Amino acid sequence: MKTNQKKAWLFLAPTIIFVSFFSIWPIIRAFIMSFQSGSLINLSWSGFSNYQYIFKDPEFWLAIRNTILYALISVPVALAISIMLAWFIFSKVKNKALFETTFFMPYVTSTIAIGIVFRYIFNGEYGMLNFILRAMHLPAPNWIDDPAMSLTTIIIFGVWTSLAFNIVILMGALRNIDPNYYTIADMYGATGTEKFWRITMPQLVPTIAFLLTMNIIAAFKIYTSVYALFNGQAGVGNSATTAVFYIYNKFQIVGTPGVAMAATVVLFIIILFVTFLQRKMMKKIGGR
Amino acid sequence: MNDEKFVEVKNLKKVYDNGHEAIKNVSFSVKKGDLVCLLGPSGCGKTTILNMLAGLLNPTSGDILFDGKSVVNTEPKDRQIGYVFQNYALYPHMTVLQNVMFPLTVGKHKIAKDKAKAIAEKYMKTTQIMELADQKPGQLSGGQQQRVAIARALVQQPKILLMDEPLSNLDARLRLKIREEIRSLVKEVGITTLFVTHDQEEALSIGDKIILFNNGVIQQDDLGQNFYLEPNNYFVANFVGNPVIDNFKVKVADGKIKASDFEISVSDLDQNRFKRELKDGEYVLSVRPENILPNEDGHVSAHVDDVELIGRERILKFTHDGVQARSLVNLETPIKPNDDIKLKMRLDRVFIFTPEGERVY
Amino acid sequence: MKKIRWGTLIAYVILVIFAIITIFPFVYMILGGLMTFQETTKIPPTLIPKNPQWGNFSRVFAQAPFARYFLNTFITASVTTIVSLFNALLGAFAMVNLKFKGKGIIQGILLSLLMVPGEAIIFTNYNTIARLGLLNTYIGLVLPFLTSIFYMYYLQSYFGSISETIYKAAKINGASDWEYIWRILVPMSKGGLFTVGLLSFISGWNSFLWPLLVTNEDSMRLLNNGLTAFASDAGSETELQLAAATLTVLPILILYFIFRKQIIRGVVRNDLKG
Repeated sequence: MKTNQKKAWLFLAPTIIFVSFFSIWPIIRAFIMSFQSGSLINLSWSGFSNYQYIFKDPEFWLAIRNTILYALISVPVALAISIMLAWFIFSKVKNKALFETTFFMPYVTSTIAIGIVFRYIFNGEYGMLNFILRAMHLPAPNWIDDPAMSLTTIIIFGVWTSLAFNIVILMGALRNIDPNYYTIADMYGATGTEKFWRITMPQLVPTIAFLLTMNIIAAFKIYTSVYALFNGQAGVGNSATTAVFYIYNKFQIVGTPGVAMAATVVLFIIILFVTFLQRKMMKKIGGR
Repeated sequence: MNDEKFVEVKNLKKVYDNGHEAIKNVSFSVKKGDLVCLLGPSGCGKTTILNMLAGLLNPTSGDILFDGKSVVNTEPKDRQIGYVFQNYALYPHMTVLQNVMFPLTVGKHKIAKDKAKAIAEKYMKTTQIMELADQKPGQLSGGQQQRVAIARALVQQPKILLMDEPLSNLDARLRLKIREEIRSLVKEVGITTLFVTHDQEEALSIGDKIILFNNGVIQQDDLGQNFYLEPNNYFVANFVGNPVIDNFKVKVADGKIKASDFEISVSDLDQNRFKRELKDGEYVLSVRPENILPNEDGHVSAHVDDVELIGRERILKFTHDGVQARSLVNLETPIKPNDDIKLKMRLDRVFIFTPEGERVY
Repeated sequence: MKKIRWGTLIAYVILVIFAIITIFPFVYMILGGLMTFQETTKIPPTLIPKNPQWGNFSRVFAQAPFARYFLNTFITASVTTIVSLFNALLGAFAMVNLKFKGKGIIQGILLSLLMVPGEAIIFTNYNTIARLGLLNTYIGLVLPFLTSIFYMYYLQSYFGSISETIYKAAKINGASDWEYIWRILVPMSKGGLFTVGLLSFISGWNSFLWPLLVTNEDSMRLLNNGLTAFASDAGSETELQLAAATLTVLPILILYFIFRKQIIRGVVRNDLKG
């Protein structure tokens, strides 16, 4: 067999063609457009003015602030709950598949459809959530219509949607831990808590690092769930605007693609930075 | 046409991309209908050669001729070869019959299904796997998978059969049985076969001749018994033989061969067996354990460390100059561990090698 | 012994509470879709409709072209899945079984593209599709998604686990690459291909932002976009919104319950992302 089989390019051709047109070119184009102003059909060079604009735009800062707050709160909370649930299923439950199947449901369902359902569950007057809160004599805020609550609302929804992926991946990792570790720990009389902290957690570290990155990247791209919860708006009075909302708004509604692309580049750099941090972290831990 | 050199390999070289020189200038030939073993330790390049013969690897330089025609630029499928892989490489999703038929139903030489089936069944009969026709490889034992692999390799009626360690995945007893079967089968079909193995016993029992490799170089290309009686060099002497050969460090000076505690006069050696002149200097004197035996007037005094039973014989183990050595004696020997004994070598059966491993005597 | 039982009990209670939290929105969606308007907005809230209002579904179909949305979504998700799987199959085969100059570079480029967030390129892709005049067409809906580096990468790891001697044996047996792909590689990787196909179909079914950008005609909308449009238009008719949401989610949920094992295994195998 030849060492340079040129026919390989034939098999790769469809992939290379599509990737060039719809992955590589758009990245280059986004960078170019971020230095241009005007409408899509009439772009002209404008240097760094788009970047200057977004860095002075309070709406951009609000979007970035909301996005970062959302990522920093929802991701650790969801991960902590996921670890707890996965460990309970793994260590206490016989019918693991039943719980796994249940908890994974949100992953396959449309965020839009389920977001509409949550809009009614969160409804300040007749929503199921507030009914339960009132029954328990807890404060029942107006989740949807109060601008001060909108970020909290999307964080709760975000946690609900991200448990699915986390739990299933963590279950996979838990199954991969050599059961002999536990047998030996039992022989030395370790308690359940000791087994969890001394055996399980150290073994889960690479998986947790991976999930942390995946979740943070996903959190930075949050858009659809906000759209669904607030019926196409970014919360009352734009109170829950996010980075992608800002980009969409500048691109499609306001019609300043250059500004949108400048914001895209900033978002892109943040995400690359997170990925880079994760790589570093993984290397330090010893890799998966 | 060219029956003496049915397979001919000329100055073959293979250098991998990472610079590793796997094969260094190898030439050999195989007679039509012969079963030749390519023997050597792992990493010696024997599988690399087989892959180049099959066309799965390209040689860096050199030529390969089948029946007098160069095949270096021929695709594997056009070389008229059959190949049996170490792990058999059976297609797990196909039945045995489909596996054996596969070569006849793909590519340019595709033939009609019923014809293909008839040919496949003929070879399945030869390899005695007819009753397994509808089973999947996963349901078969190692030995059965082996036969399917051979049937699939033969079904295109190739001119040359290449086998890469075909017995290494079988347990010891089955290995003995199958290796006899393979030999009688390829002789029955009359196909020229190259058989790669790292097991010297396997090679000695199955091969019409053996080519021994080490570090990408042919060490010896010979009939089986000559690897015992006339090893080309130190490596061959040490690779072939069980228990392994004994090696003594010696110095030659003043017409004497001197070890730390014994001396042999050069004139006592069989003068016809010298391959070259024995100059003064350092050498290795090697002797097979069956040719160094307890004897009252022996040259070598030894303290027996251990006596090991191996079937019909016993091995006396002793230490000489810090190196373990062995003597192969019969079962009834009265010698026990910690005895002090004398050993005598058959001087017409010893070998002398230079420190570089070249044979002198 | 007693201590252990308490631990298990607490664990079960917590698990059941979270399981209820997970399932409840689905239950509420299905039940709410069968309620009358009064029932959906009553205080205290109703959980079980007195008389299931099956008519809600026909009213949804009457008020918005949901049948059309279904068809559009099905076509887009199927085409994307089949074509991207086909491209990924060929690409992964080349990367795993063939040797060629530049393989390392291609692998490096593809791997780094895997890190590029879709949202960073979706707007410029919109621009491309708009320039090609493909807004509001099926081609426009599927074109950027006809190849998936991610699925190709997934298949590469799948094919990589097949012993390379299988490919060598096929070559010696005289099979062409094309025959190898269809007669050996595909049947041997049925499970993996099926799982990738399912996941691709599901993510195609649930896509939202891209169809939102490239379609504005009602007849070209996909389910999720139709659903949001419907939710805005039928703003006051809560029960119809929930019925419409049920219509959107149910097919995928059924698919999920049938193939839950394959789907979960597929996700775990390579930490597949949506």
